[in-house]
Amino acid sequence: MLLPFQRGPFRGRTSVSLTLISRFVEEYRSSTPNKLKVIDAYLLYILLTGVFQFLYCVLVGTFPFNSFLSGFIACVGSFILAVCLRIQINPQNKRDFLTVSPERAFADFLFAHTVLHLVVVNFVG
Amino acid sequence: MAHLCLFSLLVLSMVLETQALTPTHHLTTTDVARLQAVLSQPFTDLKSAYYSVVGLSKLGILVADADETCQFIKSNLDPSSVESLFYAAEASQALSGCEIPVSNDTRDLLLATVSEDSTASQIHQSVSALSSLGLPLASQEVVSALKARISKEDNVLTIILALQTASRLSQQAELGDILEEIEDLAARLDDLSGVYLQFEEGLETTALFVSAAYALSDHVDMEPPLKEDQVIQLVNSIFSKKSWDSLSEAFSVASAAESLSNNRFHVPVIVSAQGPAAISHSQPFLRLQVTDVLCQPLSSASVLVESASTSSSKSAILSQAPFTLRDEVFELNFMASQPASGYYQFSVAIAGDSRFVANHVELKVKVSTRVAINNMDLSVVDKDQSTGPKTTRVEYPTKAKAPFMADSHQNFAMAFQLVDETTGVELTPHQTFVRLHNQKTGQEVVFVAEPDSKNLYKFELDTTERKTEFDSISGTYALYLMMGDATLENPILWNVADVVLKFLDEEAPSTIQAKTLYTPKPEIQHLFREPEKKPPTVVSNAFTALVLSPFLLLLILWVKLGANISNFTLSPSTFLFHIGHAAMLGLMYVYWTHLNMFQTMKYLAIIGSLTFLAGNRMLAQKAVKRLEGK
Repeated sequence: MLLPFQRGPFRGRTSVSLTLISRFVEEYRSSTPNKLKVIDAYLLYILLTGVFQFLYCVLVGTFPFNSFLSGFIACVGSFILAVCLRIQINPQNKRDFLTVSPERAFADFLFAHTVLHLVVVNFVG
Repeated sequence: MAHLCLFSLLVLSMVLETQALTPTHHLTTTDVARLQAVLSQPFTDLKSAYYSVVGLSKLGILVADADETCQFIKSNLDPSSVESLFYAAEASQALSGCEIPVSNDTRDLLLATVSEDSTASQIHQSVSALSSLGLPLASQEVVSALKARISKEDNVLTIILALQTASRLSQQAELGDILEEIEDLAARLDDLSGVYLQFEEGLETTALFVSAAYALSDHVDMEPPLKEDQVIQLVNSIFSKKSWDSLSEAFSVASAAESLSNNRFHVPVIVSAQGPAAISHSQPFLRLQVTDVLCQPLSSASVLVESASTSSSKSAILSQAPFTLRDEVFELNFMASQPASGYYQFSVAIAGDSRFVANHVELKVKVSTRVAINNMDLSVVDKDQSTGPKTTRVEYPTKAKAPFMADSHQNFAMAFQLVDETTGVELTPHQTFVRLHNQKTGQEVVFVAEPDSKNLYKFELDTTERKTEFDSISGTYALYLMMGDATLENPILWNVADVVLKFLDEEAPSTIQAKTLYTPKPEIQHLFREPEKKPPTVVSNAFTALVLSPFLLLLILWVKLGANISNFTLSPSTFLFHIGHAAMLGLMYVYWTHLNMFQTMKYLAIIGSLTFLAGNRMLAQKAVKRLEGK
């Protein structure tokens, strides 16, 4: 494998990054367990929802600003909590979370979401 | 430093002493008539008969039907009561030819009452009755009884009765101690703001004190220890009330008035001007009434003007001029000294009797005059002074024949002189106004005419300068001269001329608006906060769909990944958990639409705890299953 600063046959930046991405995707498909993939799909959904809300705000205007904020914070909060759940469930991280079982992680996830929902609904107006 | 203080205090006290008080309240002839009417009311019993008869005698009035009154007294007399005997004796003494029959028992009763054990009132009544009935009495016994009484009861009324009693005793008796009580009693009087001097017990007590003190002082021929200012203050207190609540109060005022007019030492003098103190050519005499407190004129007095000076300059016009007595009124022809119009300060002294108190009076006298207007010249002057002014002379009270024209290039001017009609001295009255009245619109503008250094009045109207006052309305204005002063007998309102004013027409308002202050003002429309502009509904709906679209993506991905619910354990806790969780989400929606935070927390607590317990159970089961499966 050629080191980055050695002059080698011309590859171009884009092709380097393309191989990087394809390798990453391949690794992801093969080695991640299904449960984590489910959570990853959920994360993508949350992300898109947040992006679309932000897009609306930028394009059309911040008219009910409190509604925008509560929606956006809901997305951000949910994303963070889902990431926490993913980390805690991942069997590869078992050594870091000896006291926390996956069930316990899920219970925490639910409880935190309840609090988040309470705040969001209060603020949405 | 101490010497300086002492010296200034001495000077101050001397200055204060020279300014004597004069009575501010006194009885007028109507008040005396009213007092007489109160005392003349028909009497119902012996006590009211006593008050009426003796009171009227103090005012110098004899009762009309003496015989009838005498009969009344005799029939109402109760010989066994000291009080009844006192009233009868005193009343009969005031009536001429009325004799009360006296028996030995009566005499013994009266003599027995004179002792230390009787009250001061009883001693007074018995001594007065004995004295009026002409019966002998032992003065020294009375004196000792009185002294014992005073030492037992130290109140004001007791001492006053003691003074009255002592005045009926023989002059050989030792009345010195009782005489000293006058001074002690005078010290107990309350001084109210330097004007009034009275006992806190009231008017009647003060009046009785005055009559008792002077009665005793006259009896022993020793001047009472009352200063002149105190006497005047007592006069103010006693004669400030002009209607009396009871017969006894009226009686006490009548006896006080009598003692203040007739005693040997102090006679307060009341000086008042007859009518307003104003003099003019038609009324050149200043008339003064000089009376005692009962409104009886003091004909023996001689009234003198010590000095008469103008209020402003203090230079004396008159000095030591006597008043002449005519029909019980003192008069002085002040106009003979030819005073200029204005206010004068008179200092009048009343002499003739050493008993007179408050016999220096300060009076303010007004001298009025008639005013004449001389040399009224009206002219229209060109501003650039290209042509000479056209002057028209107008004589009061005629009006100028032709109207004067003044437009924006000209000024209208007026000059005149105000003089005293008789002396020809120039006058400057307080009010000299020039009024221009537009007869068509009713508008009027008033200016002040001011005198220059030579006392010549000038008024100039610059049409351009003053156009705001006129609202630039052209037209014919009637010109009036208004003049008035307190010392003028003939105030003047004179329509001098008509003035036609022409203003530049562009500035004139089209309609003449009456300057009304009290019409309703224009209504203020409140502007509510505009709601913010919302984007069109299409855009909102489109974006809502866009935001919800990732959910579809999620479902698709999950299906692709093979997410399923095959691990669903059919146990009650699972069901309960899921139902509880769904309920919590439902509660969130309801919170958004209907509830507030407190209600939500309440429901959440209930549902949440159920869900928690169920979920805990479920997850524990799952964990056990997972560990078993490993």
